Amino acid sequence: MNRIKSLFRARVLRHQVLTPSCRLVVFDRPAGFPAASPGHFVSVRVSDSSVPLLRRPFSILDLTAGELILLVKIVGRGSALLAGANPGDGLEIGGPFGGTVFEPPARGKAVFVAGGTGLAPAVFAARTWNKGGLVEEIHLVHGASTRDELLTGFCEKDFSHVHQATLDGSAGFGGDAVSLLEKLVNDGVVPLDALFSCGPRGMIRALVERVGSRFAEHHASLEAVMACGVGACRGCTVPVRENGETLLRAVCSDGTVFPAGDIAWEEWED
Amino acid sequence: MNKKKNAIRIGAVEFRNPVFLASGPAGYGLEYAGLIDLPSLGAVVTKTVSYSPRRGNPGRRLRETVSGLLNSVGLENVGAEEYFAEKLPPLYDAGVKPVVSLAAEDWEDYRKLLELTARQENVDVVELNLSCPNVERGGMAVGVDPDLVRRYVRLAKDILRGAAVLAKLTPNVQDIGLLALAAEEAGADGITAINTVLGMDIDTDSGKPVFHRIRAGLSGPAIMPVALEAVWRIRRRVEIPVIGVGGISSPLDAEKFFLAGATAIQIGTAIFYAPGLPGEILSALEERGIPAPINLPD
Ligand SMILES: Cc1cc2nc3c(=O)[nH]c(=O)nc-3n(C[C@H](O)[C@H](O)[C@H](O)COP(=O)(O)OP(=O)(O)OC[C@H]3O[C@@H](n4cnc5c(N)ncnc54)[C@H](O)[C@@H]3O)c2cc1C
Ligand SMILES: Cc1cc2nc3c(=O)[nH]c(=O)nc-3n(C[C@H](O)[C@H](O)[C@H](O)COP(=O)(O)O)c2cc1C
Ligand code: FES
Repeated sequence: MNRIKSLFRARVLRHQVLTPSCRLVVFDRPAGFPAASPGHFVSVRVSDSSVPLLRRPFSILDLTAGELILLVKIVGRGSALLAGANPGDGLEIGGPFGGTVFEPPARGKAVFVAGGTGLAPAVFAARTWNKGGLVEEIHLVHGASTRDELLTGFCEKDFSHVHQATLDGSAGFGGDAVSLLEKLVNDGVVPLDALFSCGPRGMIRALVERVGSRFAEHHASLEAVMACGVGACRGCTVPVRENGETLLRAVCSDGTVFPAGDIAWEEWED
Repeated sequence: MNKKKNAIRIGAVEFRNPVFLASGPAGYGLEYAGLIDLPSLGAVVTKTVSYSPRRGNPGRRLRETVSGLLNSVGLENVGAEEYFAEKLPPLYDAGVKPVVSLAAEDWEDYRKLLELTARQENVDVVELNLSCPNVERGGMAVGVDPDLVRRYVRLAKDILRGAAVLAKLTPNVQDIGLLALAAEEAGADGITAINTVLGMDIDTDSGKPVFHRIRAGLSGPAIMPVALEAVWRIRRRVEIPVIGVGGISSPLDAEKFFLAGATAIQIGTAIFYAPGLPGEILSALEERGIPAPINLPD
């Protein structure tokens, strides 16, 4: 049995505050931590107590020789504990987890739509593909509720074009990321080869229903509530249409990336 | 170090130590290979399989509670045929000791499941999941009725011949001791207790139950005292070994189960958040040995 070890203790090196609710948490890459690809995630034990109980999944935003970087939005107790970890603190981290990942686009042109912290896998993809010379044009469409919540300040250089939307119109396009993408498509601003999306379920579903078909392909990195993170508990399943059948796939181990058009949204209750 | 020091025996089967992974959380076993040193464990009880594949429950399947977890996975599994062909052999190859968990479902499927299991070469121990909903019983579990428990255990003993049969009981009954007794009378080689505790949750935003099936199974530290009491109660009723499971989340918790009279323990939910726990319990046992049961007053 020579599976790659996937349980580590990682030390927090520093934080970078991005918005009132979001920050980058930078860890010292633990010795032996395996290589990872865009769409992979780690699961972090945020507390030694039983509240919160489960480890919390976070997408890898970057993995360099020395660092593991996560983008953390505070939405509850677990994410608050992680965001509040002090430099020097050691946390138990499982990963990298995930099966399918974002693959570089065949013709070198990619459009990412990232809602909120869905930005993490988009940045990881951009950095990985830029480094490997695998893309020539990579657009980011990023939406937030207000100007203060826009996250792209730290990663603008990773994309060839950044298109921003705010719900209240305080910066960029006034509206959501899906409406902005529709406009960009209609105006002929973005290449229609490959669409990659990550973010809330509702956003990805709206993309599929409203603009996905304009692109040659559309791949989505999904989120679901998870317990094991390794495909054992079957707690994170998503119905996916394959060869005329709707199968339950585990987001953690069969995903996180799925052909967005194959997801059986009407059967995927929250 | 004496490797056999902590070996235990249930029926005719020897396990290298009394620390097992519980059915369900560990999946088919090897999913956890990167997180847990599986061959070092006494056994891995694999996810319950039914005769035919099952899709499991729609809707949300997990919800964290205070120190607990509600699940409504609903016995999703690949079915016995694929299990024996694809899932079980790699465990043997990896040096992992499996306990095969079988769904005590509707009678005819159950019989076919046992017959298929009896045809497998290596299976020397099974755990009957008596908490499965039974259509013939209007969705009630077999495990709530002593007569049914007796019939289901007896059929398993008849068909499986030499294999050790563990009866895994649900705590959602009046007196789990009576059900354990019924299993023992029918020839069970051991009792596993407990399965999850019935619970539910309501989403206050939508005003709807969180789970499609409304009720779900509670596990994790929150149920540990319930499981401990069940082991104690069963211990007073039966002679056969009792395997304690429910909320074990530290070496001290494990110790309590041995003190209450458990022959072995299983770890379920804890591997989700502390995959290092089985190893910690093993180290504690290696250092101090398996605690002897105390005499508990009635
Ligand atoms: C594969 C994957 C990658 C993720 N990547 C990131 C990331 O890069 N950055 C980031 O900030 N968050 C990410 N998340 C979401 C993150 O895991 C949750 O926000 C976190 O677990 C919430 O924990 P909590 O204790 O703070 O909140 P809780 O108190 O548990 O919940 C607060 C709110 O968050 C929702 N929530 C809880 N768990 C999840 C979950 N697993 N997914 C989505 N919503 C959830 C709850 O429904 C609730 O509305 C990811 C989730 C998955 C499954
Ligand atoms: C996600 C999940 C799935 C489970 N699936 C099964 C199962 O298939 N068969 C079974 O006998 N018990 C199943 N159980 C119950 C556990 O084996 C165990 O009895 C129970 O969770 C209590 O132990 P714990 O608190 O250590 O998890 C499951 C539990 C969980 C949390
Ligand atoms: S979280 Fe357990 S199967 Fe995905």
